[in-house]
Amino acid sequence: MEKVLSVENLSIRFAGRAGDITVVDDVSFDLSVGGSLVIAGESGSGKSMVCQALLGIVPGAAKVTGTRIDWRGRDLLTLGMQDWRAIRGAEIAMIFQDPTAALNPLITVEHQISDVVCAHRRCSRQEARARAIEVLGLAGFPEPAHRMKSYPSELSGGLRQRVAIALALAASPSLIIADEATTNLDVSIQAQIVTLLRRLKDELGLALIFVTHDLGLAAEIGGDLLVMYAGHAVERGPVRQVLSDPCHPYTRGLLRCAPTLRSSRANPLVPIPGQAPRPGSIGAGSPFRSRCPVVVDGICEISRPGWTAAGPGHAVACHRFARDGREGLR
Amino acid sequence: MSVRKQEGHGVLEARGIIKTFTVRREGSTRELRAVYDVSLSVAPGEIVGLVGESGCGKTTLSRIMIGIEEASSGQVLYDGRPVVGRADWRALRRSVQYVFQDPFTALCPTMRIGQALAEPLAIHGLCPAAERAARVARMLELVGLHPDVSRRLPNQLSGGQRQRVNLARALMLEPRMLICDEIVSGLDVSVQAQVLSLLIELQEKLGLGLIFISHDLRVIRYLCSRVLVMYLGEIVEQGPTEAVFDNPGHAYTKALLAAIPDHSRALAGVEHANS
Repeated sequence: MEKVLSVENLSIRFAGRAGDITVVDDVSFDLSVGGSLVIAGESGSGKSMVCQALLGIVPGAAKVTGTRIDWRGRDLLTLGMQDWRAIRGAEIAMIFQDPTAALNPLITVEHQISDVVCAHRRCSRQEARARAIEVLGLAGFPEPAHRMKSYPSELSGGLRQRVAIALALAASPSLIIADEATTNLDVSIQAQIVTLLRRLKDELGLALIFVTHDLGLAAEIGGDLLVMYAGHAVERGPVRQVLSDPCHPYTRGLLRCAPTLRSSRANPLVPIPGQAPRPGSIGAGSPFRSRCPVVVDGICEISRPGWTAAGPGHAVACHRFARDGREGLR
Repeated sequence: MSVRKQEGHGVLEARGIIKTFTVRREGSTRELRAVYDVSLSVAPGEIVGLVGESGCGKTTLSRIMIGIEEASSGQVLYDGRPVVGRADWRALRRSVQYVFQDPFTALCPTMRIGQALAEPLAIHGLCPAAERAARVARMLELVGLHPDVSRRLPNQLSGGQRQRVNLARALMLEPRMLICDEIVSGLDVSVQAQVLSLLIELQEKLGLGLIFISHDLRVIRYLCSRVLVMYLGEIVEQGPTEAVFDNPGHAYTKALLAAIPDHSRALAGVEHANS
């Protein structure tokens, strides 16, 4: 498959009082044209920072380094302000978690979308308006020509998120990043938005990066999965493969502690003991070692695990798995 | 529900609750029906789930049951007796406590944790001031926090720790019942599992009853023995959790269940996740 995005060894650091604090450490992944990637992890895992790096909107104090972030032949790590403008929105667009904060409360839906259209190409107000109607329609916004005169406060949460999706589509990007885009919505609206994103991906040939903490949602999106923990990628592979045969102790722990529609107290959830380490306190070893039930003594404390193949396209960064395979995880 | 249960000790019951709000918009007023003719009863030791979408009235109902909101009509009964005056509500709130959804706004940012936990005791005049610190320490241990936490401020704690503090504060009066409004929905799954285990432990150890409000049916299925499904202010379905989940009768319950993202179902191939 042809790659549209290839991230190699991305790291993001903030300057701290006692040296740099690494919030994303050496993360690599690929995305094929029209493909989808789910980045899953808990708060503080660095998943949002990765997305921000892909849009060049990492907070100014942070240092973004890496071998290369290849976007259709260009290296995103070397772009200047002007170059970013041509890519942000036009080629890579983002849907944020909170549509209420993402929309301007004082401007009608119509104007917010046509502003984006006009920012990216020379066109008349009429053309911009027509494009606004078109993308709202794509995003499943009912009666766009009529209702786009509304202000965001006049819309429900689900409709606002559809407006946010229309905004992302306005300049015809080839990659959409949805950062926890359904987290604040009701389950039935969430299901509608997920269906919509999958449909847009197929119909428009968009590539999709979907960030979530919900492994159930990851399974519904499909494609590839990258599991992140404390700024590190710990497991990657096709979603179904990883969820049905998790090979990193953290992924296994997550699956055992997340209730499903089949869980009952007869099979109690197993909480992962302890807390995620603070950024900057991980040092050289495996990031999960402080909570890991299958630590390899003398190794996990001192060396960062490399990738070990666990199946076709499926790889795990774990010393225990590298040494003992699946047997070692029990 | 049995007659014995209705007369039993510590049962919290709502009967025929109706709540309407008056909405004024563009000069005209209209009545908004938030809760319509809802009855429910919970006994100590029982965990009852209340599910529904935002705006369905589940929070309004729970606020009525603890007296933060007043019903337009209907009655709240505790121990089989109607709760009417201020003194009744005050007595009820010693036995029934409310845990709020957002652990960030539920705690006063300038009050140390120890002080926040001792406050319910002071309000109800329950425990000599000198002994309060020891009770606070014991309670922190019960919810799995180090007693040193009592010297901290809320912003020095993580979301999961704050939610534990929140629970601990509700438990300070040794209530027989807690009303929990979406208390795990803002938490990471690994932390959520820790809080769910704690709730089960409290139920088993203290015989605590719980009204557990959530929109996440996966959590409800795990935790609750009985579930009520609320839609547009009315209870549309109720029963033992397994029966409702395995054999939903109402179209709305079916729709809710179908909308839950679930990896066990997706992997079993029932969903078309990766087709």
